[in-house]
Amino acid sequence: MNKSLTIARREFADVITSRRFWLIGGLFLLLYVANIYGVSLGFRMGEAFGSNRLMLQIGSNVASTLGLLAPLLGIALAFDAISGERERGTLRILLSRPLYREDVINGKMISAAAVIGLTVTASALLSVSASILLQGITVTSDDIVRLGFFVGVSILFAFAYYAVSLFISTFSSKSGHSLTISLGVWIFFAFILPILASFIATAILGSPPAFFYNQTSRPGGQTQISGSFANYTRRVAEITSTIEMVSINNHYSLIADSLFGLPTGAFGQQETSRLDLAGVLSSRWVDLLVIVAFSLIFLVASYVIFTSRQEK
Amino acid sequence: MNIAIETDNLVKVYGGKKEGVRALNGINMKVPPRSVYGLFGPNGSGKTTLITILVGLQLPTGGSATVLGHDVIKESVEIRRKVGLLPEGFGFYEHMTALENLTFLGMLDDLPPDKVKGKALEVLGTTGLKDKATVKVSTFSRGMRQRLGVAQALMKDPELLMLDEPTVGIDPEGAAEFRDLVRGLNKEGKTVLMSTHLLYEIGMICTHAGMIREGKLLAQGSVDELSQPVRKAKGYAYEIHVKSGGDGLRRDIRLLPDVREATLRDDKITVIAESDIGSALFSLMTGDAYRDQVSSLTPVSPSWEDLYQFYQGGESA
Repeated sequence: MNKSLTIARREFADVITSRRFWLIGGLFLLLYVANIYGVSLGFRMGEAFGSNRLMLQIGSNVASTLGLLAPLLGIALAFDAISGERERGTLRILLSRPLYREDVINGKMISAAAVIGLTVTASALLSVSASILLQGITVTSDDIVRLGFFVGVSILFAFAYYAVSLFISTFSSKSGHSLTISLGVWIFFAFILPILASFIATAILGSPPAFFYNQTSRPGGQTQISGSFANYTRRVAEITSTIEMVSINNHYSLIADSLFGLPTGAFGQQETSRLDLAGVLSSRWVDLLVIVAFSLIFLVASYVIFTSRQEK
Repeated sequence: MNIAIETDNLVKVYGGKKEGVRALNGINMKVPPRSVYGLFGPNGSGKTTLITILVGLQLPTGGSATVLGHDVIKESVEIRRKVGLLPEGFGFYEHMTALENLTFLGMLDDLPPDKVKGKALEVLGTTGLKDKATVKVSTFSRGMRQRLGVAQALMKDPELLMLDEPTVGIDPEGAAEFRDLVRGLNKEGKTVLMSTHLLYEIGMICTHAGMIREGKLLAQGSVDELSQPVRKAKGYAYEIHVKSGGDGLRRDIRLLPDVREATLRDDKITVIAESDIGSALFSLMTGDAYRDQVSSLTPVSPSWEDLYQFYQGGESA
């Protein structure tokens, strides 16, 4: 364990002084500044519409930033964790010491957990604090618990991508390959799978039915969508969400939606009711379990491959 | 300990026992303690595979091996505690200084935290890099990196050093300095196992050698042990330097039993004999007839090229 900690300390120092880390940090900052601006806009709209959803707005903004950057952080920490050491020839120097291979991979995992925990927590805290201070919002204990829980989930989410990228890195001989495959996995889950799911759903269900608004049947001039069209969109949503069950990004988004009560219905017309944390946990434990299982499977796979591999 | 490294029918097959490539094909090697053992062979002969198995970075497919009395499979961590390795194609953490690299590696070598920096400075001194201690490794030349490579291997004060192709890619001056460094370490009592594909390097630095080709150890032993079969097969050679004349001596030498040829050129008589006739030659040249004409008698050892050609040709006894 001592040797794992020695390796972890060096890794941690290397990461937080690296240009790559500060580049990701810069991206976090950029998106958070945009979010703070978004919250400020929301604050003004909230005043206009009398809404009290500002903390939810802040939370959802943090979620959208972390949803994008947490995987990148995980990948940035892992893609060359093993393949880079192999490529640079430092792995042989490390493994010529009186240590076990487990010490090397444990050290890397400890360091990554510390960096991810620190980065996600600090960035979320900074963003939320800045928004709160700028808008003078009153924060309830429920808000704090919700945000704290969400930060924890985001750390797990980033670590899940770390685990995938570490797994790829253990069998790659070149960091470039490892980075390409890791980014490919992220792009697939974040961008390609949702589009693919929609294509599959429309391919299964065929063309949508006739689409019209009934603006006269309800008082107040609210629009109404035809029943058959609403049914069609509901079935599309069912199929796409079933397909997206394989994506941890989707599970992460579902937890975020439940925590911050974001609109999830078609056209954003429906707004989910705001569950308390226990309610979120009871309705979203499977999503949480998937993220944890995803991390564990790839961490164990990385561990087994690395410890059983021989260095030629 | 009588043997520093001993292998018994060591086999390594890559890619399946039946159809795979046999990188090592029954190696039986013995490295005496306090020797500089040169493992010589062409690229791809199995030198690196053998060294990586000896330090436990790879597992053998068959056979067994012990290093400093420890089994390479069961006690590889104990081996790495006592053996300093300079692997082929090694690297350092480029953004760190030489001292930072060595301090980090020293911590992993189980050195006490309060002594690790002192030890790092000591080995930097031994390898001539003390003034570069606080310089980032990214600025180091190839020769300096090689010295730092030896420095990291010395951090644990090893009983045995394994150097895999240590002079590849460094200039002749750097290679000469490197050999001096290895000689110095050997004088301090360290056993050195050094792989190389440069034949002249064996002759310059090694007390013992093993010749490996296609995963088989063709021959091994001290320079004398390796020379004997070659001498038996190709003849025992001697050079006699004469001050004057020499033709009479040459004729008398020709009459000695087992002498195959004796030729005089300038002031040197070259003798080739079927057996060791050193004593007979000595008696003849120190006798009354030739005592004043002869200045020296030197037995000529076969060159490393001769040895390699001999053993490579499968003429091994």
